[in-house]
Amino acid sequence: MKYMILTYASQQDYDGMAGKATGKPAWEAADFAAMGDFMEKFNSELAASGELVETRGLAAPVLTRRLGSKDGQPVVTDGPYAETQEVLAGYWIVECESFDRATEIASRLADTPAPESARATAYADIRPIVEGREELVE
Amino acid sequence: MDVEDQLRELVPQVLGALVRRYGRFDTAEDAVQEALLAAAQQWPGAGVPENPRGWLITVASRRLTDLLRREQARQQREDRVASWAPQGDPVGDTDDTLVLLFLCCHPSLSPASQIALTLRAVGGLTTAEIARAFLVPEATMTRRITRAKTSVKESGARFTLPADREERLGAVLQVVYLIFNEGYASTTGPRLQRVELAAEGIRLARMLYRLLPDDAEVAGLLALLLLTDARRPARTGPLGELVPMAEQDRSRWIPELIREGVDLITATLPHGPVGPYQLQAAIAAVHDESPSADKTDWPQIVALYEVLLQLTDNPMVALNHVVAVAMARGPAEGLQLLSTIETDDHLAKDHRLSAVRAHLLEMSGDKPAARAAYEEAAARTTSLPQQRYLHARANNL
Repeated sequence: MKYMILTYASQQDYDGMAGKATGKPAWEAADFAAMGDFMEKFNSELAASGELVETRGLAAPVLTRRLGSKDGQPVVTDGPYAETQEVLAGYWIVECESFDRATEIASRLADTPAPESARATAYADIRPIVEGREELVE
Repeated sequence: MDVEDQLRELVPQVLGALVRRYGRFDTAEDAVQEALLAAAQQWPGAGVPENPRGWLITVASRRLTDLLRREQARQQREDRVASWAPQGDPVGDTDDTLVLLFLCCHPSLSPASQIALTLRAVGGLTTAEIARAFLVPEATMTRRITRAKTSVKESGARFTLPADREERLGAVLQVVYLIFNEGYASTTGPRLQRVELAAEGIRLARMLYRLLPDDAEVAGLLALLLLTDARRPARTGPLGELVPMAEQDRSRWIPELIREGVDLITATLPHGPVGPYQLQAAIAAVHDESPSADKTDWPQIVALYEVLLQLTDNPMVALNHVVAVAMARGPAEGLQLLSTIETDDHLAKDHRLSAVRAHLLEMSGDKPAARAAYEEAAARTTSLPQQRYLHARANNL
């Protein structure tokens, strides 16, 4: 069974990681390096156990373009999010034996080294992936 | 040499021998991968056979026959058995590596496919290794490689050096350069594997130079890679942060690589014809031989960029030329020159343009404008390490 693990962050969190203090303090070089090392290890262990299907981090919310429509015409809006609104920051797709195992994998993300202000609001979601139409009609 | 290195050296020779003998690049390539797997499993325990190349060719040929037989059964063409009898020369000592490289860099393939196929067929990397290095799922890379092999097959490419050799050599050099760069310039992903990709680029460039020692651009490319790789240990700080060349601890540059690269480009340049790789290598050599950024022979670098600009319309070359002019003749002249290329479509929204402007403004003492330009550059890149570097520059003003 495949599961998607989703993590969230705000533009402020992204700014902090990029070394810029806006609302939340900027990350020190050591903070940033520690997070990179942790993610590298986490991902390579998941790859080694054969459970990693795919993982990506998303660029900052400010770079978002939202596509909607008005009067039947597509309308593009730039960076529609407020500074402190949390949006999708990254995801993992894992293939593992059970929802509990996926939860166990995701719970290790709680050990991600980060400054206290960033850790305080961090959370992740785990959602089963629907593989095909038949699962939806059942 | 350990077993893995030895296998890597033998891959193109074994694959070349098989394709020359049986045709069928796509199936031969699968057979060689399976023979490699068998060798990787058996050799470390049982010892390397006396004639490793012959061993691999025998095992791969057997596998190829199996694969072709199965394929043929599927297609119900039993009467064609004769068609996969040996076609060309018996397996001799010819090194077919060059022909393989040209085949992998076939013009009908996209650069991404050329890279993947070259790494697998000539570099001997497994699909899983290539997928990891490019951070794509293995299934995606398998599809890419399979498609590439089918394209080569459908294009009816023959296993001989192509007639448009000069043109194709350009693609081969480009692929080797891209492989190296993927390992060198990348600031994300599993670092170790990326370093291995840079090493693979250098290995392929060395191989190419051994095969075509008289081609000035081949020598230029090898020199460029060596001179660039020489700076690798100083490019990142202890916490993985980016360190610009001006601030790098030059005692950490690798002297053997610098010496080899400088000797190579010094011997090559006078014999020309001069091409972009040789010029970039010459520029890298000037940097590598300078004791500090201040003592660099900037006028010479300006002159080299001016020749390079005549050969290419690459906007990044134009931008680097601006930096060299600023270093040679001061930031005012640099900023003036920068204004002439700012409207370039490829550059206008590139963070590197803003970063250069920021550095030049900082050099000229205009702190507020420099800070704004650094922030602008940070907003234009999605790379967090680059953003961290640019914000740090802004904060220090």
